[in-house]
Amino acid sequence: MTDVVTTINLAAIYGLIGVGISLTWAGLGFLNLAHGVTFAAAGYGAWWAQENINGHPSVIFLGGIITGAVAGAIICASVFLPLDGKINWPFRSMVASLGLAIIGVNVYLLVFGPSRKSIDFLFGTTKFKVGDTTITADKSGAVISATVVMILLVIGLMKSRIGLGVRALTQNPEGAALVGIGRKQAAFAILMTSGALVGFAAVLLSQTFYPEPNIGYLPLVKGLIVALLGGLGSVLGTVIAALLVAGTEAVTIHYLDASWVLLTQFALIAIVLLVRPRGVAGVLEASRA
Amino acid sequence: MTKVLEVRELSAGYGPLRVLHDIDLAVEAGERVGLVGLNGHGKTTLLRSIMGMVDWRRGVIELDGKSILKTPAYRLARGGVALIPQGDSLFPGLSVKDNLDSGAFATGWRQRKQRRDRVLKLFPRLAERLGQAAGTLSGGERRMCSLGRGLMSEARVYLIDEPSLGLAPGIAAGLYATLRGLDLRGGTLVLAEQNQALLEGWIDRIVKVHGGQIVGIIPGDGQADGRTAEGNGQELVE
Repeated sequence: MTDVVTTINLAAIYGLIGVGISLTWAGLGFLNLAHGVTFAAAGYGAWWAQENINGHPSVIFLGGIITGAVAGAIICASVFLPLDGKINWPFRSMVASLGLAIIGVNVYLLVFGPSRKSIDFLFGTTKFKVGDTTITADKSGAVISATVVMILLVIGLMKSRIGLGVRALTQNPEGAALVGIGRKQAAFAILMTSGALVGFAAVLLSQTFYPEPNIGYLPLVKGLIVALLGGLGSVLGTVIAALLVAGTEAVTIHYLDASWVLLTQFALIAIVLLVRPRGVAGVLEASRA
Repeated sequence: MTKVLEVRELSAGYGPLRVLHDIDLAVEAGERVGLVGLNGHGKTTLLRSIMGMVDWRRGVIELDGKSILKTPAYRLARGGVALIPQGDSLFPGLSVKDNLDSGAFATGWRQRKQRRDRVLKLFPRLAERLGQAAGTLSGGERRMCSLGRGLMSEARVYLIDEPSLGLAPGIAAGLYATLRGLDLRGGTLVLAEQNQALLEGWIDRIVKVHGGQIVGIIPGDGQADGRTAEGNGQELVE
């Protein structure tokens, strides 16, 4: 039961991280390796809001989300737009985003120093029992709020004009241009939304991943695993992949050791992609056909 | 009549390949112009050049007298130029409704719904498929969806590229029957087609494209006017 709770908790957060990478790749063809420093920036933003504005959870969440969105806009303006359409731009933008990530880590070191920052429990410290398992308010709050955010994201993608533009762009960039969807505006929308989502995840994970300069690397790797496994561009695929990745993590820790987690997760990717190169989205497409 | 679209000395191509050679073409507001020629002779490249969707282009392209050489395709689409490309360029994973709605991307939902109702009257088959993914439609239905998406924009200039390509003759004839009866609301039409017979009797002017040049102009009644395109010196072909 504890493994199930851990799985759902991690899946909810990994989903938030992975869906941004997935939409950015599918919509813009841009593999954003600065997603991890956005995670760290959002953690610092949440901590800064707590220390300088107010310790109320809504302020802390807003601090993380807004910082994440701003970091997304900076990535768009400094990495994506200057290189978009240039020769070999997908590779160059990926490398540039990695460069920005390295710069980001060093800026955090200079500004905030190497020590970890502490963020308060956002959902209180109460605990309740389901059977023999103790569930903390932090975990249940994370699962519920992440689920709500994912549902809002899906509604936004399905019902809003910007959502239609993003979905169209992920399907056919030329067709999108022909109906008046501007790549530049869409890029800002996608990268800022991705940043806000990863910012939300950073706040939810702040009790496990305390804000510090290098904190973004592991969430970036998890996000990449989830996005690849989910089938780039598929929100439902990303959610299912997040469950698979988190489940693998929980089971690996339970039966083996935490040091085996990345190994088992990469093995999972290799197996799924060998069978279905489009990942979970490929499995979904096959089941619909 | 006022010129709405004009290209002068337009050359364009892909990489090292030059497909168009100094094309001159002026289209007046409300006019229906057919581009006729064999495959690979530049009809598609001419339409794509106007939208800025070729590797390179040189010359003059004007919309309402203003140069659009540096205007990206999405801005032209918002500015009232709709290219309905060869094939279909739909969004295969999106529903027919979303594909149609994307054609009126810049408008509000109320206007979008009105336009969608109008398009569905033209293509009732699409009304039965609204919730279906566009990628699962038949070839003819996809072409209807593509035309419908273009019409949703209520553009001032429609550039339609070979809507009959790859369709069975009966389906192509049905599609052209719809095109012939279209009320473009004062809009201008430039329609590329291999089969000239499909254009005769309802198009104002047929422009013959051959080897990347305009080699002749025929009025819509099917009688050649004896003019030849400036600069190439060729007689009308075919």
